[in-house]
Amino acid sequence: MAESKNTPAVLRHVLQARRKRRLAILLTAFFIIVQIIWVGLPIVMTVLWSLVDPNHPWSYPNMFPEKLSWGQWAYVFKYTNIIRALRTSYSIAPLAVVLSFLLSMPTAYVLGRKRLPGKKLFQTLVLLPIIMPGMVVALFLSRVFTAFGLAQSFFGLVLAHTLMGLPYMIRVLTTSFEAIPQDIIDAAENLGANTFVKIKDIFLPMVRPGLLAGMVFAFTTSIEEFNLTFVIGTPTFETIPTILYSFLGYNFIRTNASVVALIMMIPNIVMLFIVENILKSDYLSASLGKL
Amino acid sequence: MKRNDASVFNYLLLIPGVGFIVLFIGSSIFITITQSFGLLSVSGKSQFTFENWRQLFHDKESLDSILFSLKMGLLSSIGTLIFSFPVALFLRKGGAGKRFLASLIKIPLFVPALVAAFLIINLISYHGIINEVLVALGFIKKPLRMLNDKFGWGVVAIQVWKNLPFVLLILSSSLASIRDDTVDAARNLGAGSWAVLFHIYIPLAMPGILVSMILMFIKAFGDFAITSVAGPTYPPSIALRMRNTATLFQEWDKAAVLGVVIILTTIVITWLYARLAEFVTGRH
Repeated sequence: MAESKNTPAVLRHVLQARRKRRLAILLTAFFIIVQIIWVGLPIVMTVLWSLVDPNHPWSYPNMFPEKLSWGQWAYVFKYTNIIRALRTSYSIAPLAVVLSFLLSMPTAYVLGRKRLPGKKLFQTLVLLPIIMPGMVVALFLSRVFTAFGLAQSFFGLVLAHTLMGLPYMIRVLTTSFEAIPQDIIDAAENLGANTFVKIKDIFLPMVRPGLLAGMVFAFTTSIEEFNLTFVIGTPTFETIPTILYSFLGYNFIRTNASVVALIMMIPNIVMLFIVENILKSDYLSASLGKL
Repeated sequence: MKRNDASVFNYLLLIPGVGFIVLFIGSSIFITITQSFGLLSVSGKSQFTFENWRQLFHDKESLDSILFSLKMGLLSSIGTLIFSFPVALFLRKGGAGKRFLASLIKIPLFVPALVAAFLIINLISYHGIINEVLVALGFIKKPLRMLNDKFGWGVVAIQVWKNLPFVLLILSSSLASIRDDTVDAARNLGAGSWAVLFHIYIPLAMPGILVSMILMFIKAFGDFAITSVAGPTYPPSIALRMRNTATLFQEWDKAAVLGVVIILTTIVITWLYARLAEFVTGRH
């Protein structure tokens, strides 16, 4: 309906509101398309590269590979150290998660529930591993590790990965502890609950969603960790990121790198999306948004 | 009465988490500083000296890499901000499809930095899709050199792609804290969209903007992996130069000097931004 001078004011408002809404939807659609290209294109390209048939190279000026096959995947698993690296990566990560869980529970409890002078300072100190430039920490922590015989050791790597996962774990758990209503704790105390009962029946069940999120963050951080692993672990230990780095460096092999990149990326994306959707409330922003 | 739980026991409970972090990060910073003066070198002899610091100012490659990393830090933080602020503003109000859009945008956050570098390399390399499309459409005769380019645009592109969602999260949470009443009041008083943007959204989101810029700067300034994969052949980033000095040339003391430069720059930039934030928000 066209607008004219005779259109009642109410109707004009309705039309205007509808036009605004339509514009908003158009804009959303536009942004979604831009994002699909911005995020999707690089990922699709990598998937294609990993599926290029070894006997039919994908070369200029072909826009698409001539033939797709699993040949590159078979090659990477057969002739590179990827299986050993996977084993190393996925055995360090759970140990680092457990260790950072044990270390962060008491700290997060105090940071989330207690009023202490200097709390702000402690909350900032916790973020140091994220803020400090990774290579400086890696290089000179490796000197400390060398002095204590931890360099080039499995235990040293677990400690290093724990260090990088702790900030996420502590922050997410702190947020969860903050969210427990004091009434529940008071009620439990009135009914005679001791510390053990409080931990078992109140704190652990109530921080469980946060704990799950923290564990996934610490786990994915460990799988991705490069700087410390590269300096402290190479050449004794190879993880997925250090293998990928070697494929991106002086022996740049795009097809192999594509396979390794996908091996590293897919489990992480899946895990983080599951956490986001199971937990509903936005743990990512809760833990990172308010740095 | 304000509750206060300052007891020895509560402080003891902080030790496992905070203590672990302070011990590891603190010891590495401590060793960086002492080694830059020739002390406590784990291998070789220890002797106090300013020599390593003096030599820094005569080492052209190190000075070039400091400048290069400063440039990368600055451009990456500005670039990410320019791309993410409009999106953050757009996502502030809910609407059809925006949840889906938000989760699409978040994907690079879950992509490890090295993988992100590789993903973008595939796009911008000499025979990457961008060059092929541009050539096919006839915009350019010859593919452009965007990867390992002399300036470092490839590195900036990777940093922006990878960190956009991270900055977006910070910006979104600070935009979310702006009350709709404030915006409505301004509009009632006749403020147009630009006035609302420049007098309400930007000033009130300034803490978030500054924090995200600091974090981006620190990340891009101290970066090792992305620059070593996609950066120019010369100069190396400061972290790359430091690592090569340490492990390839075994000159740990000189590497420590570069390490201290990285840490100091990080602190100075953070301090400058903090002062800027005070200035902008009018708190002195």
